[in-house]
Amino acid sequence: MKVLVINAGSSSLKYQLYNMTDESVLASGRVERIGMDSSIVTHEPANQPEVRHVSEILDHITAVKRVLDMLTHHDYGVMSTVEEIEAVGHRVVHGGEVFKSSVLVSPEVKLEIRKLFDLAPLHNPAHMMGINAVEANMPGVPQAVVFDTAFHQTMPKTSYLYPIPTVLYRRHKIRRYGFHGTSHAYVSDKAARVLNKPLQSLKMITCHIGNGASCAAILNGESYDTSMGMTPLEGLMMGTRSGDIDPAIVPFVMNKEELTLNEVNSMLNKHSGMLAVSGISSDMREVTEAMNEGDAKAQLAFDMYVYRLKKYIGAYAAAMNGLDVLVFTAGVGENSTALRKAVCDGITFMGVELDDSLNEVRSKEVREISKPSSKVKVLVVPTNEELLIARDTYKLVKEWMDNRAEAAEGK
Amino acid sequence: MIKKVGVIGAGTMGQGIAEMLAAKGLDVVVIERTEERLAYGLQMIEISLDKQIEKWALTGAEKKLILSRIHPARSYDELAVCELVIETISEDLDAKKDVFRKLDGICGPQTILASNTSTLSLTELASETSRPDRVIGVHFIYPVSKIDLVEIVRGLKTSDKTFNETKHFVEETIHKKGVMVFESPGFVTTRLICLLINEALHVLEEGVASAEDIDSAMRIGYSFQHGPFEMCDRFGLDSVLAALDRMFREYGELKYRPSIVLKKMVRAGHLGVKTGEGFFKYDKDGDRIQ
Repeated sequence: MKVLVINAGSSSLKYQLYNMTDESVLASGRVERIGMDSSIVTHEPANQPEVRHVSEILDHITAVKRVLDMLTHHDYGVMSTVEEIEAVGHRVVHGGEVFKSSVLVSPEVKLEIRKLFDLAPLHNPAHMMGINAVEANMPGVPQAVVFDTAFHQTMPKTSYLYPIPTVLYRRHKIRRYGFHGTSHAYVSDKAARVLNKPLQSLKMITCHIGNGASCAAILNGESYDTSMGMTPLEGLMMGTRSGDIDPAIVPFVMNKEELTLNEVNSMLNKHSGMLAVSGISSDMREVTEAMNEGDAKAQLAFDMYVYRLKKYIGAYAAAMNGLDVLVFTAGVGENSTALRKAVCDGITFMGVELDDSLNEVRSKEVREISKPSSKVKVLVVPTNEELLIARDTYKLVKEWMDNRAEAAEGK
Repeated sequence: MIKKVGVIGAGTMGQGIAEMLAAKGLDVVVIERTEERLAYGLQMIEISLDKQIEKWALTGAEKKLILSRIHPARSYDELAVCELVIETISEDLDAKKDVFRKLDGICGPQTILASNTSTLSLTELASETSRPDRVIGVHFIYPVSKIDLVEIVRGLKTSDKTFNETKHFVEETIHKKGVMVFESPGFVTTRLICLLINEALHVLEEGVASAEDIDSAMRIGYSFQHGPFEMCDRFGLDSVLAALDRMFREYGELKYRPSIVLKKMVRAGHLGVKTGEGFFKYDKDGDRIQ
C-alpha cells in the first residue's frame, strides 16, 4: 500500500510518499509560498536529483494537485496513476483532550479539529485546509490524522494541571498538552527495541532538541510528563523561545515597555532563547562555533541551555523515581556532540557514564553512546515523525478496509 | 479573492495601510505624485518596521518579507493588476475626483475602487467613474496596524456585491472588524472624535484646565489610550481642522465650528507629531518629549 504523508502549513505543504510494504520513501518534497503567483514546488524522487517548479499556486487544493502531478509525472514521477495512493496521513499539531490517538478523518473528526482552532490558531486551520484539499483532489481516499499532542494524553492530572483557578481549565481547557508527541513516541519505542527490552519496563527520558525543544518522561511505556505546556513556549530554553520564565515578568514588561499582547508574545517566541542570550544566532551550530572561538555571550547561551536541560532531566528522574534510558533526538540532539557531552558529564551522580569516543561518532543510525558500565543507557535515536504518521495511517486504513471486507462477506 | 491591492498616496495613512496589507501577506502597489514623496513614504515604512523590531513585534526576516511585498509604482498603469485600489491622498475633493477618473480608465471593470476619505462624499467620487456600483469607502484609523476597525462606507450606488466583497476582505483577509456606515460627513469615528477634540479645545480656551490635565482626565478617567490633545497631535492638527471645517459646512451646526486655538496653531505650523510640535512636543520617532 502507498501512503501519502502531508504536513500542511498556512503557506506551505510538505509531503512524503511511502511504500508501506517495506516502509521505503518513494518521493518527498514541499510546496512553498502557497497563495502567491510564484510558488515553488521542490520534488525529490528517491535516488534521483530534485526538481524545482515555479508557478502560481493560490490555494491548498492547487498545491495538492501539483504534488499529485509531480508524483505521476512521466519524467520524475514515481507511480503511474494517483489511484495507487490508498491512504493519506496528515500531521495535526493540536488534538486537544479529544484525540488520544490517531484517527480516520470523518465529518465529526473535522468538526472537533475545527473546535481546537482557538488552541492552535497558527496550525490547525492550515491542517484543515490540507485535509480539505486532499478530499477535493482524491475523493473517497481514506485520510488519517496524527496529532502532536496525542501521545501525551496519558499524563496524569498531577502532570497536566496548572495550579491556577480550576475554572480556567473548565472554561478554556487551559492545561498542559505537550507537543512533539509523535517524535517522543517514535524514539522511545525505537530505543526500547534497540535495547531489546519491553518499553513498559523502562524509565525513560526523551529529549527532542531541535529549533523547538521538549523533554518527556516516559513511564510504563506512556508519557508521564513533558516540558512543553498549553503552548510550545513552556519548558526548555530553545532557539528563539524563552521556555520557563517567571510568569509575572509578562505583565511587568508589558507595563514597563508599553507592549501589546502581540508584541510580548512575539518577544517570548521569536526574540528570546539562545538568540537573545548569545546575540548571535538561534542555531546551535553557530553558537557552538562562536563559543569555541572564545565568545563569552555564546558560552553563556550554551551553558544556560545545557543547565536548563539538565534540570529537566533531574526533575523527571525524580518524578519517576529513577532513570534507565536517556534519549537524544532531533536536529540538535542528534548532531551536537558538545551539547550531549555537557549534559551527560553533569549528571554522572545518577549513573550516567558517557563514552566520549562513541559520542563523537556522526551517523544517521540509532546508537548507544554510554559506556557498557553506565547504569543509565544513553542513546541517540534519529527521529522520523513522517514514518510514524505513515505507519499509523497504514494501520488505521488497513483495519478499516478489513472491516469493510468482512462486512461485505457477511452479507 | 483579493491578493493585490493598490494604494494611492504614501502619506501617513497610505504608509500605514500599505505596511499593514503587506504584513497580512498581500502584494501592495504604492504610487505617489513624485518619486521623492514615494521614496520618503517607503523610508517611513521601513522606520516603522524597525520600530516594531525594537519592540520585539517583528523579526528581521519578517521585515524583509513585508518590504518585498511592497512594490513602488512609477505610473498608474501598474495598478491595472490590482483587485482593489485604496485611495489615501489628502482630503481634497477635486484631487480625489481626478484620481478616481484615472483609476476608472486603467483598472478592470471588476476592480473595487475604494477611498479612505473620512469626510468627503463617496457618491460624488463614484459619479466620476463608469462603475459607481464598484466604488466604496474603507476608512482606516491611525495607527492602521494597531487599530482593528474599518468603517466600510456605502455610497448611494455601492452594490451589495461590492459591499460584501469588501466586508469579507476586511474581516477574513486583514482580520479587522468592519462596521457598515452610510455616507454622511465624518461617518461615526471622525464625527464623534473631532467633536470631543473641539470640546476639549473649548475647555482649554475657557481656562478650566491645562492641556496636560485634560488629557490625564480623559486618559485615566475613561481609559482612553491618549487624551484628546495628544490624539489631535497624532492625527495632525491640520487634518482635524479640515474635518471640522467640512462637517461644519455640511451640517451647518455650530458645534462643529473649529476652535480658534486650533486654527491659530495650524497657521503657526504646529501640526502635531509630524512637525514635532502641537499641543505637546515629540521627537523624530514620534515619541512624546516629557
